[in-house]
Amino acid sequence: MSGRTHTTVLTPQDRIKTFDPYVANLIDRTAWYEASRCIMCFDAPCVTACPTRINIPEFIFRIKTRNYRGSAKIIRESNIFGGECGYVCPVERLCESKCVRNNLGEEPVAISLLQRFVYEMEKPKGLVKFDKAPSNKKKVAVVGAGPAGLSAAYELGRKGYEVTVCDSNAKPGGLLIYGILPWKVAWSVAESEIANIKEYGVRLLTKKPIADAKGLLKDFDAVYISTGATKSAGLGIPGEDLPGVHLAQDFLYKVACYVKGEGKAPELKGKKVVVVGGGDTAIDCAMASLRLGAEKVYVLYRRSLSEMPAVPYGRKQAKEEGAEFMLLTAPVKIIGGNKVSGVECVKMELGSPDASGRRSVKPIKGSEFTVETDVVILAVGQKPDEAALKSFGVKVKDGLIEVDKNYATSIKGVFAGGDAVNGGDTVVEAVAEGKKAAEAIDKYLSGRK
Amino acid sequence: MVTKPDLTVKFCKLELESPYMLSSAPPTCTGEMIMRAFEEGWAGAVTKTIKPDKTAVYDYDNRFGIMGFEDKQMVVFENIEEVTKRPLGTWIKEIKEVKKKYPEKPLIGSLMAEPKEDEWEALARAVSEAGVDMLELNFGCPHGMPERGMGAFCGQRPELIEKLTKASKQGSNVPIMVKLTPNVTDIAFMGKTAEAAGADAISAINTVLGLIGVNIDTFEPMPTVNGKSTFGGMSGPAMKPIAMRCVAQLCQATNIPVSGIGGITTWRDAVEFLLIGANNVQVCTSVMWRGYRLIHDMVDGLTQYLDDKGFSSVKEIQGLTLPKLTAWSKLDKDWEVVAKIDKDKCIKCGICFVGCRDGGYQAIKFEQGKAAEVDEEKCDACSLCTLSCPVPGCITWKRVKK
Ligand SMILES: Cc1cc2nc3c(=O)[nH]c(=O)nc-3n(C[C@H](O)[C@H](O)[C@H](O)COP(=O)(O)OP(=O)(O)OC[C@H]3O[C@@H](n4cnc5c(N)ncnc54)[C@H](O)[C@@H]3O)c2cc1C
Ligand SMILES: Cc1cc2nc3c(=O)[nH]c(=O)nc-3n(C[C@H](O)[C@H](O)[C@H](O)COP(=O)(O)O)c2cc1C
Ligand code: SF4
Repeated sequence: MSGRTHTTVLTPQDRIKTFDPYVANLIDRTAWYEASRCIMCFDAPCVTACPTRINIPEFIFRIKTRNYRGSAKIIRESNIFGGECGYVCPVERLCESKCVRNNLGEEPVAISLLQRFVYEMEKPKGLVKFDKAPSNKKKVAVVGAGPAGLSAAYELGRKGYEVTVCDSNAKPGGLLIYGILPWKVAWSVAESEIANIKEYGVRLLTKKPIADAKGLLKDFDAVYISTGATKSAGLGIPGEDLPGVHLAQDFLYKVACYVKGEGKAPELKGKKVVVVGGGDTAIDCAMASLRLGAEKVYVLYRRSLSEMPAVPYGRKQAKEEGAEFMLLTAPVKIIGGNKVSGVECVKMELGSPDASGRRSVKPIKGSEFTVETDVVILAVGQKPDEAALKSFGVKVKDGLIEVDKNYATSIKGVFAGGDAVNGGDTVVEAVAEGKKAAEAIDKYLSGRK
Repeated sequence: MVTKPDLTVKFCKLELESPYMLSSAPPTCTGEMIMRAFEEGWAGAVTKTIKPDKTAVYDYDNRFGIMGFEDKQMVVFENIEEVTKRPLGTWIKEIKEVKKKYPEKPLIGSLMAEPKEDEWEALARAVSEAGVDMLELNFGCPHGMPERGMGAFCGQRPELIEKLTKASKQGSNVPIMVKLTPNVTDIAFMGKTAEAAGADAISAINTVLGLIGVNIDTFEPMPTVNGKSTFGGMSGPAMKPIAMRCVAQLCQATNIPVSGIGGITTWRDAVEFLLIGANNVQVCTSVMWRGYRLIHDMVDGLTQYLDDKGFSSVKEIQGLTLPKLTAWSKLDKDWEVVAKIDKDKCIKCGICFVGCRDGGYQAIKFEQGKAAEVDEEKCDACSLCTLSCPVPGCITWKRVKK
């Protein structure tokens, strides 16, 4: 069997000139070829690795028979954001990591490329529609129009509930619209899928922040909280309040607004930027900085490459574009007068693995050095807005909303999911949690008249 | 709400919810298997061939073989398997169970016996009384059984087709379908013989006699049963052209419905069989290869296809292509064309050049790095370049007057 299909990728020099997507899609013939690489495993491990359990072998088989619409049905049936997920899922640690071709010493089937292809073939005729149950007159409120909230809203709308979704932002979509930048996926993909969700009778209210979730129970039979985890954590080192220091989430939100023409971007032209962190968000910050014209971008990570949580694909892309990785390096202090001028760092060394198998690190005495920089972006973790969670009145544990296995919070009738509960995971996990919560809410409300 | 095209098919007296049935083979070896297939969505099933208890049947271990091609693991499947080993009484009990649980799904009993009229009549009576909706007479199995006067032995002898079809009609009150072997000189003649003897339908094809391969390290033929082998029955994707030829010939020669079998893997294959006149189709090898679940895309893809083409039912496409199949001598001799290469689409691989030079008419000029060009004087319009060119739509036809 021959190798995996690769599509054209723009050169690093060309792609940092814009915020546009830079990976080309499969076409009819290459998709067919790639689809023939799927062995069609029984009880396929890729399906188990997908939080929304898309029947991957079946959707790929339908590409092979050129039943593209049927393929789209399979994907959309399990994941109402199947198009978006095709573009943004970290498949290297999800479906593709479990493809049995890995066991044959080959590259996995390009599931994400195939999923994108199916979405692009689906779009011109309008996204696939499913039957909707007639209204059952029961009302559900959803707080937060990110993928978790919208997925729950869709599932409930389809089951006949009257769903109202409130979001504080000007546009629905949560991080799909205000976090994930268009070089991964054009915003039109999420927009088309959100428009599709509206067709199931879901009401979307924007610029409508909710403070009191319990209060909603006066007008609604159940409430779903999916407000995300949009606050960045700090490091707690001196100098974090200097001008020129950004928190990752705020920084990327501003960049997203700038690209949409809705605001100004941080001024980075010709500047040196230090990004602190080793996750996918750190990589996004580095790539955004390069696109804003930064002269030099360093990514500081305190462990080594093999511990880095960011997927290898993203790391490779950022590196090609010119980001420089400083590994086993931790910031100690941000220095500067009225603005940032550098970061004092210390070299780290790896110790023995801890209980979770991750190796501990400790500073090497006397290895301190300074990196000169104009800007520092802290991408060292995210969390929900604690004050907001408090105002909802639900029980909070370790900064996250506490739920039971049915996604029920401490308040009867109030459910929660997505980043606000898991602390920040992926779009596909948010969609899956929304689906499961919808099922739990349906069960809860079917028991009541 | 969307209106879906109608997939139902009327086959003799049978009402099929879609044109897809399982053929008589391993996927229909027990009542339990047939019920699972029905649950999965198959419209009907033909039981694995049932025989009288006195007929001894043996199955060798390692009775299958395959042939692949390039990146395809299997394009031909071969077997030297016999008919069912299970007693008639077991089948009668299980047929009743299946019909009780799925009264609306047509169940067809496949039969085989020694070429004696009373044996066929008795078997037909026993199986039809168990409650099947139709009988299929297996005159096709080309291995094992013919050595004892059964299977293809009957299908290759018109007098036996006639005699045994009549005997089976005598024994039963349900419609009778005759399953033919492609291992004959003129399958249309065999079809007409069956029709004249009173057959209500024909199914074709059973497997094609072949030799799947030789292990060049051990010198053993395949499938190898402890060092030796025998000729076997070939099925699977590469048999489709033979099967379609047989089905088209039968549709042209007879006036009874034909159930198309042979190499059907996807809804696209099924559409082709329907277009050349098959009433419905039966599937075996692809289900052995990938499971009953193939039915989902077979149904969905066909639905989508009919919808896209503006047909409201599967009946509208049955036989659409048949009138376009004619004798060689009746094709259009005024159809004169030459190949034309699109310079902008050409990827300069030289495939058309080397093919035309060594297997055609030396009509293509090619130099590395430049688009290939056709010498219209030399082009004989054989089609080779248009088919071997890896870029769709790059080489097309231009009408000329020669
Ligand atoms: C920069 C960045 C890049 C990412 N890239 C990827 C990626 O490539 N692939 C991937 O799978 N995942 C990625 N993620 C993670 C993914 O975006 C999140 O896991 C996912 O969006 C979580 O969905 P959610 O619905 O829980 O929350 P969110 O998408 O955060 O949505 C929450 C919504 O709630 C609204 N809200 C908050 N409080 C209130 C309130 N009080 N009243 C009303 N509305 C409120 C917010 O305005 C927001 O619209 C990325 C995350 C970030 C930050
Ligand atoms: C292993 C095997 C066993 C078969 N047994 C029978 C049988 O018992 N009776 C019969 O009529 N046909 C039998 N067949 C033939 C199939 O029903 C069918 O006619 C043939 O395989 C062509 O269809 P396909 O290409 O879809 O497999 C058998 C085929 C295979 C592969
Ligand atoms: S398929 Fe089943 S019965 Fe056949 S050889 Fe394998 S394990 Fe045995």
